[in-house]
Amino acid sequence: MTHSQAPVAALLTVYVIGVAVFVPQILSWQTLRDVVIAMLPLLVAVIGETFVLIVAGIDLSMTAVMGMGSVVAASIMTGTGGYLAGNPLAVPVGILVFVGVGLLVGVFNGICVARLRMPAFMVSLATMMFVGGLAVWYTSWHTRSVSISNLPELFRRIGYGTVFGMPIAFLLAVAVSLIAHSVLSRTLLGRWLYAVGRNEKAARISGVPVERVVTMAFVISGLCAALAAVIYTSRVETGTPVLAQNLLLDIIGAAVIGGVSLFGGQGTVMAALTGVLFLTVLDKGLQLLGLSLFMVLAVKGSVILLAAVLDVARQRLSESR
Amino acid sequence: MITSPAHARRLTRFLRLLPAIFFTVIVAAFSVLSNRFLSLQNFTNILLQAAHLAVMAVGMTFVLLVAGVDLSVGATMYVAAVSLGLYLSAFPAWLCLLIAIAIGVAFGAVNAFFVVKLRVAPFIVTLATLFVGRGVGLYLSDTRMVLAGSAVSDFAHESSLGVPAPVFVAAVSLAVAFVLLRLTPFGRYVYAIGGDREGARKTGINVEKVTFAVYCLCGAFAAVGGFISLSQAAAAPSTFGERKEFLVIAAAVLGGTSLFGGHGGLLGPVFGAILIQTVQNGLVMIDADPYIYPLITAAIIFIAVLVDSLRAGAIARLERRRIRAEEQETRAEEQETLAST
Amino acid sequence: MREDAHTLTTTAMSSDQGHPVDVQQVPLLSLREVTKSFFGVTVLHGVSFDLQPGEVLGLVGQNGSGKSTTMNILGGVHQRDSGEIVIGGTHYRPRVPRDAEDAGIAFIQQELNIFANLSVQENLLMGRFPKLGRWLPVISFRRLRERARQLLAAVDLQVSPHASASTLSPGERQLLEIAKALSLNAKIIIFDEPTTSLTSRESERLFALIGRLRHQGIGIIYISHLLADVVRLADQIVVLRDGHVVRRGPKAAMTVDDLVTAMVGRSIEALFPNRSRRGATGATVLEVERVSQPGIVRNVSFSVAEGEIVGIAGLMGSGRTELARILFGLDPFESGRVAVTGRPFAKPEPRACIAGGMAFLTEDRRHEGLMMEGSVAANLELAALPEHARGISRLIDDRRLRQRMSAIKEQLDIKSGDLRTTPVKTLSGGNQQKVVIGKWLLRQPKLFILDEPTRGLDVGAKQEVNKAIVQLADAGTAVLMISSELEELIGMCDRVLVMNRGEVGRTIERSAFEREAILKAAMWKGIGT
Repeated sequence: MTHSQAPVAALLTVYVIGVAVFVPQILSWQTLRDVVIAMLPLLVAVIGETFVLIVAGIDLSMTAVMGMGSVVAASIMTGTGGYLAGNPLAVPVGILVFVGVGLLVGVFNGICVARLRMPAFMVSLATMMFVGGLAVWYTSWHTRSVSISNLPELFRRIGYGTVFGMPIAFLLAVAVSLIAHSVLSRTLLGRWLYAVGRNEKAARISGVPVERVVTMAFVISGLCAALAAVIYTSRVETGTPVLAQNLLLDIIGAAVIGGVSLFGGQGTVMAALTGVLFLTVLDKGLQLLGLSLFMVLAVKGSVILLAAVLDVARQRLSESR
Repeated sequence: MITSPAHARRLTRFLRLLPAIFFTVIVAAFSVLSNRFLSLQNFTNILLQAAHLAVMAVGMTFVLLVAGVDLSVGATMYVAAVSLGLYLSAFPAWLCLLIAIAIGVAFGAVNAFFVVKLRVAPFIVTLATLFVGRGVGLYLSDTRMVLAGSAVSDFAHESSLGVPAPVFVAAVSLAVAFVLLRLTPFGRYVYAIGGDREGARKTGINVEKVTFAVYCLCGAFAAVGGFISLSQAAAAPSTFGERKEFLVIAAAVLGGTSLFGGHGGLLGPVFGAILIQTVQNGLVMIDADPYIYPLITAAIIFIAVLVDSLRAGAIARLERRRIRAEEQETRAEEQETLAST
Repeated sequence: MREDAHTLTTTAMSSDQGHPVDVQQVPLLSLREVTKSFFGVTVLHGVSFDLQPGEVLGLVGQNGSGKSTTMNILGGVHQRDSGEIVIGGTHYRPRVPRDAEDAGIAFIQQELNIFANLSVQENLLMGRFPKLGRWLPVISFRRLRERARQLLAAVDLQVSPHASASTLSPGERQLLEIAKALSLNAKIIIFDEPTTSLTSRESERLFALIGRLRHQGIGIIYISHLLADVVRLADQIVVLRDGHVVRRGPKAAMTVDDLVTAMVGRSIEALFPNRSRRGATGATVLEVERVSQPGIVRNVSFSVAEGEIVGIAGLMGSGRTELARILFGLDPFESGRVAVTGRPFAKPEPRACIAGGMAFLTEDRRHEGLMMEGSVAANLELAALPEHARGISRLIDDRRLRQRMSAIKEQLDIKSGDLRTTPVKTLSGGNQQKVVIGKWLLRQPKLFILDEPTRGLDVGAKQEVNKAIVQLADAGTAVLMISSELEELIGMCDRVLVMNRGEVGRTIERSAFEREAILKAAMWKGIGT
């Protein structure tokens, strides 16, 4: 059953028009460009979260994964005493490290939720704290400051650079979106993900390998977190354990706003895209309006609450029919 | 994993004792590693440090019993502390405590509104209010450290009848919780809702009112915890109460309160709080690297949840088997009756 | 069981035709021409009947006959459109369930309202706890215990008031519900399918209790699909069909056949389709040898061949569903051997069993059989997906799937809109069950295990499902069918295995089918006919 993106799109339009009254530059090309650039890594992360939400789980550890990957990879790549400093393999290995961290944490989360039957939000909470603390500790081994800088030029180009005229981040985000969409709508794994989210018992009896599917969902979210971290790290040009510290709410909020149900069994790449677009434009608008950080936090928290309320309303409407 | 009813029964019993086993092992380990650990003074310190956590864990228990959760207790702590320090520094301690409770109730009411009236999942609501609350607190304090008023900071050092004031406040809070939960109809309704929400509604229990009250209670207890903590620290930095919610949940779950609702008491969370505080105290005593504190905390939370999940699984299996065994006994009696006719 | 055909008796009885019970008594409950429509569709057409104090009224009818609506109106869940309800002389117009309670109506439903995490006494007096002082909201546990003891004695339930409700068997929990109803001074108690989860001993205990309640002047409405029980218990029987009261009268005037005919408009013979061939038509498909799991099943051995329908009878808790789950790999077994078409299962689990040609239709289609939020297509294709996944990336061949699903829809006559867009929850119970069957048919199983395939379905839907099962067997599938309805087993099966305390006690061949023999074998493992 598909969920219409129309209400969110309408709300977004109203918002943009409203802000434009005070700050006309929201309607400029520059703003559009800023929004798209900001959206790309968030989209990758939200797509990962979507996979987990579809199987009626949740992954709160994505931001910690990003921080951990960031510092470990940086410690390898950095010109100041990195393990592979100056080595032409530094950047590829660095990227592999990102992926490795994501996969490891994903597998751990998946096994705890799927095989040990622990509640997803508690497991990913514990993982978030552990990996987050580990990242900070790891950083302290390598530098007296709170981050690791002096990353290779090649790596720094990923964030804002282009290849054949297209921004690398853009290509990555598009690739992830297309693959994810294809998996969800056309492959066996996609059907299995929705089945597990809708009715785990029925899925199991019908031959769906439930444990493997749930674990896979968490692995995918870990992987997406890693890929998003590559872009973020490259953009700030340092490896830092608090890379994405404030993004947790954004990731989950975007998914929920876009229509990915917290109850499982529902969600698409389109929903993720809509949610990310909405949230990014919201952010940009608040920024242009010059509101303080606290106001931004308050507004975002409220909007996400609103989206969750709409999710519930939609759920109840479909039940009463 | 569990292969027989006897196995399930043994597992449940073992799991119930696990926190106590943990505690003994940890105390033993720390005593060996540090000669400063095993002393009356230190244990008193642990109790003092655990006081605020115990109070908050008891408040959280109410919410967990109805199968809900409140992730915003840390933010509630902070907002209460900031308000006391900034605006009420000249007021006497007891008045500050009352106003803190009011703030906590207000916070809880906001959570309750979204959970009860708008039916949004508790963890999303309280995750959002966690951020919004902290934002509000940071706004009020301008991200600066807030000093407690003299009345509040002196409070921590007072004592009556040899009992330090913070412990006294904690004990009173626990007493209130005990009366509410064990002795009043309200307490039975809380358990009923956690056991079978729809059934509770059908029985005529006003599920909405009770759930609303439960979140307000949790907020109130969180604010009391904030008061105690502020009084002991005499100041609230911008990170005051950060990540506290997870420790509070861990304390409650370690103490036997189920995340799935319907099961749990009051002594458990208190014990859980003491256990957690003992670990943190021990780490300080052995001069452990401060960087590993969050790692240890996360590990404790993880273990608490793992134990709860295993226990819930064992209980489910046990219940299934037990009913069947009884039916088989009944059949045996039937056979005998038939044979004799 | 008589099998002669009966003609239809469809004249609706008007309320002028009084019924033979002593009409000088003021009826406890009186419905007169109650009518109800939902969205322009009339579901109750002038339903009328009376309930006397101390009388048991059996209410029977298919799903969709108006039983539930009538009860919901009585219970205050819905409002009637016209007509009157009179209780003990006063007009009754409930707006909420609480009004029903206040009027003395207690509704013992299938899903019991018991809090397993609370004690017996807390369950009994939930919401009405005796307090210490008038204004003090503190429970008086002493008075609570005393009151609880009184109520437990009234229903002859021998458990301690302090015991946790989780330790009670389903039968004991039901008695607890009844005790609760009595504490509310119920004058009318409605039982909705009360014996579904009870052992036969507990059912007898319930019937005895009903007898005692009658003597206290309480009026009882007994709703059940188990017509034999209704005929046994009731003083008066009311049959509903399509919202009309089609028969109403003393039970002495009716047999089970009469009731079925009135409910369905057809005779009982037509319920079970004629089989073109009976018995095995090919090789052995399922071999079960001395399968044991301590506490669950013991030394179970049997086989099923192509084209056979083998039934498993037994009382609740005899291990039938547990056996099915073990065969399908959902639960482990300690010793013995299970083989499908000769290939034994070393470490059975659903995927391996499905790959080996097994299919399993579970007892509970809402929670274990269907994804209620999914479309009909999503449900139909679920088990067959791996077969239609192509290439390394496992892309689903939607076109071929769609063709095959359309064919299945035709074959089973599933009444639904477009498969991809119709949510399965909008289908009727019978059609939903056919969707579950269809899901398995897409895999062309060699062995089909069915656990209570017609439970909860009305007579018409039962017929359709049984027809589908027979078609399967005729086409060569081996069928293993668990059922609690002996008529069904007798009508459908070639052989019936009777299970008792986890063991297969007797195997009864078709030639020796006799309802009493099966029942006795189920109750008493042992010797003789």
